[in-house]
Amino acid sequence: MRSLRRFLTRLLNSATTRVQDERLREEIEEHLTLQTEENLRAGLTPVEARRQAMLKFGGVEAMKLDYRAERGLQLIENLVGDLRNAGRSISRMPGLATVIIVSLAIGIGVNTTIFSWIQMILFEPMPAVSGAANFLLVEPRTETGGYPGASWLEYRDLQTQVPALRDVVAFQMVPFNVGERGQTERTHGQLVSGNYFSALGLKPIVGRFIRTEEAERPGTEPVVVISYDYWQTRFRGAPGVVGQKLRVNERELVVIGVAPRDFQGTMVPLKFELWAPATMAPALLGGTRDLEDRNSRAFSLIGMLRPGATREEAQAQFSTAMAQLARDYPDASAGIGGEMLPFWQAPRGPQRLLISGLAILQGVMLLLLLAVCGNTANLMLARGSARQREMAVRMALGAGRWRIVSLVLYENMLLAFLGAGLGAAIAGWGTTALRVAPMIGAFPILFPTRVDQFTLAFAMLLGAACGLIFSGAPAFHLVRLDPQDGLRSTSNTPPRSRARKVLMGVEVGLATVVLIAAALFLQSFRSARHADPRFRPEGVLLAAYDVSGRNPDKASNREFAARLLERLRSLPDVEAAAIATNVPVDLHGIPRRPFTVQGHVRTEPGQDRAISNTVTPGYFKVMGIPLLEGNDFAEMRDQTAPAQAIVNEEFVRRYLSGAEPIGRLIQTGAGSFAIIGVARNSVYDAFGEAAQPAAYFSYRDRPEDQGQIHLRARNGNEAALTSEARAVLRDLDPMLPLYDVRTFSQHIERNLYLRRIPARLFAVLGPLLLGLAAIGIYAVVSYAVARRTREIGVRLAFGATSGRVILQIIRENLRVIAWGTAIGWALALVISGRATPKSVVNLPVFIGVPAILLSVATLACWIPARRASRIDPMAALRHE
Amino acid sequence: MKQKADVLKGALALMIRKTLDVLGPQHGYGIARRIEQSSGDLLAVNQGTLYPVLLKLEQERAITSEWGASENNRRARFYREGRKQLQVETQDWEQTAAIIGRFFQVKAEDLS
Repeated sequence: MRSLRRFLTRLLNSATTRVQDERLREEIEEHLTLQTEENLRAGLTPVEARRQAMLKFGGVEAMKLDYRAERGLQLIENLVGDLRNAGRSISRMPGLATVIIVSLAIGIGVNTTIFSWIQMILFEPMPAVSGAANFLLVEPRTETGGYPGASWLEYRDLQTQVPALRDVVAFQMVPFNVGERGQTERTHGQLVSGNYFSALGLKPIVGRFIRTEEAERPGTEPVVVISYDYWQTRFRGAPGVVGQKLRVNERELVVIGVAPRDFQGTMVPLKFELWAPATMAPALLGGTRDLEDRNSRAFSLIGMLRPGATREEAQAQFSTAMAQLARDYPDASAGIGGEMLPFWQAPRGPQRLLISGLAILQGVMLLLLLAVCGNTANLMLARGSARQREMAVRMALGAGRWRIVSLVLYENMLLAFLGAGLGAAIAGWGTTALRVAPMIGAFPILFPTRVDQFTLAFAMLLGAACGLIFSGAPAFHLVRLDPQDGLRSTSNTPPRSRARKVLMGVEVGLATVVLIAAALFLQSFRSARHADPRFRPEGVLLAAYDVSGRNPDKASNREFAARLLERLRSLPDVEAAAIATNVPVDLHGIPRRPFTVQGHVRTEPGQDRAISNTVTPGYFKVMGIPLLEGNDFAEMRDQTAPAQAIVNEEFVRRYLSGAEPIGRLIQTGAGSFAIIGVARNSVYDAFGEAAQPAAYFSYRDRPEDQGQIHLRARNGNEAALTSEARAVLRDLDPMLPLYDVRTFSQHIERNLYLRRIPARLFAVLGPLLLGLAAIGIYAVVSYAVARRTREIGVRLAFGATSGRVILQIIRENLRVIAWGTAIGWALALVISGRATPKSVVNLPVFIGVPAILLSVATLACWIPARRASRIDPMAALRHE
Repeated sequence: MKQKADVLKGALALMIRKTLDVLGPQHGYGIARRIEQSSGDLLAVNQGTLYPVLLKLEQERAITSEWGASENNRRARFYREGRKQLQVETQDWEQTAAIIGRFFQVKAEDLS
């Protein structure tokens, strides 16, 4: 208690140093005066009286020190003093400090932004759900390694058969058409098991959530939970929303509650607005047999381990349960095992893809930060040698070496933390900017990234690490400094610049690696943009419709598509129209289906697979893909022709070894199809991809309940077709919305979005890094040159031309830089060889980047060298 | 070295408190004079050491201080015994002193 109080008093005293010092001074003065008076009374002379009084009092300074030690907290006082000192020292070099802080801030900001994404995916994959990263995906797994999802009945079995999991939750994503006839709107929701909200540990903002018994038997209460955003936008946040009716897929649902603010469902980054009990599936999805059919694997399952249970236990129980199911229901479950996956490895969704890309990006950006540190170390080192004298004086006056080092350390740490602070601000801005970027698509996507205490801690940690890294060299240099030498030394001592040169080389090497990586990435991105897709996206409008839940059978689906096409083709501005299930260059990819083809026997294990797309006649005309052989599909209402397929060149090359394809049969899960034509290869997944085998099937044979309408405009103005297309669909069925309307170009842009973020990052950071390297080189050379003023003066006086002087300085420094570049270049070559083993070395990049770097470096050497060569020899010799 | 200083400080602290207890509020010089007189010039040197001890005592709330007027009507800092029990500390000290005193009186033959 006492020591605590003393501590607090001392803390207070530390803050009020000046007042306290004044008090002590007064007290001493008073003491001495009284003693002097006493001595005077004893008969001493005034001078002697004062002298005796002072003698009696003793050493004032020693006492003051004692007094201060007693009063305040030495450590904190020193710290504050040191920081103040460091601040003063930094403010004496505003230009240098700005360069250092800004470059650090950019490096730390970018790293922190990327970290916030990784952190989101790995640790906080579901906003508003605490501990979401602990959820395991309970995934049935086929022998070929596919994850087909779970059926509802399977879920009910697994719920009890995997006791190591606390609650197994089931959900499926469904498109909803919400609203009254003629003005429906497309929204996405999830059909969920009754324990969904309770297992996630969520509390409703308004009303209640779905109860377990509400998802027990089919056809129970028609209830729905809405998202916070939906509540705000559709109901203006009215508290009376509970009990209101919502018309979803032509069924009336009663709103029972509102989900927490940031909750966006269990398939992040997809963002859902509505949650209904899974038992509503038949009512909402037009008599789907999802609830009874074990072959209908529509659900995803997640679960959290019970306290004390291990993942291995759960995995073992899951495998046993799946083996039992395979015995009990061979039709549906034969050959299907089970696998527990961590949440971030979700087989459906972009997490897996993102995480590897982000890891690479983080690696490259950490390298960049390291280069920034090297640069800063160099600048500080250069400045450190300019301050050699100051330090030598400090040492001579009795400052310990540790004290000197700590001085440098404080300065650098202050710089580092200022940089980290600014970097955190940049990260905050960056995460928000990336999140609000337009991500409108077939599915609403929202990345719930944000800057929180972990991200901030990461930024500060980076700052501290940077500070330590770039303090190392200058501190080491100072520790070895001999104070006498330092005092004696003027600018004519030989420059100790080996450390600086090594750093310069390292920095240039790192810059080479990062710049080459950036250039390679940018180039692949650009070539992707300008590569020939081998179809004609210009002038094509895309729009989606979905009749699921209203057409009971395939015949009516086919009839609907046929009527829709007739009406669309009759529009005056439409040159050609078609419907397809998949659109090339889609973020979500195009499915690959297994098949066997007549005349091809597979030798290696596994199945042949090809890109599969189901299209209507006229598709190849709309897309501008020529048919090299054979004919287009039979008309939609043609009842006579057998089931047909059209394959592409690559299919023929790979599976038929160039033999005549027409007439051969393709066998798939859906039946057998006769090949009637060969289409030219085109791009399916990404620009610049290697040719992929593809098989097209006809809508006539495989009518689907949803489709992507493709319209080619007669006049090239595809966007103008939107309202006409909407009118056509409304005419056919007033309850059906036309959604996801976009031109083909927009579709491509949107799907390049994810690749564009890193491309932009590189485009901005590349030049920045080049600039940093240039500043670093410039600083090193100009300090080195400044210290050799006298030597240069002598040489000029003896008749060296300024050209020779410049040449020599450049040659000396360029040697180091060239070494750095060469090592970095080799490293980049190795890395790129590892990353893309089969591709050829990109010569323009591997030659261009070092060339640019070296010319910039030469320029950065030349400027200070030229300045040095222009000095007046006489002035240089008189220098100091 | 350090320990010696600490012991001295402890003794000095007790002397200061006793002085203030007997004489009432005093300024630094007054305390120094009094201790000097009663300790037979033991504290003749380094009166200054008094002040850190005064500060320590004040921080421990053993004594308090305030500005006042000295005999010659000038501003001086006056110290006054605080609310802490001097009694206890005195006893502690006497006990310690007694133990040490006895300890030094012990002769070799007493232990054998």
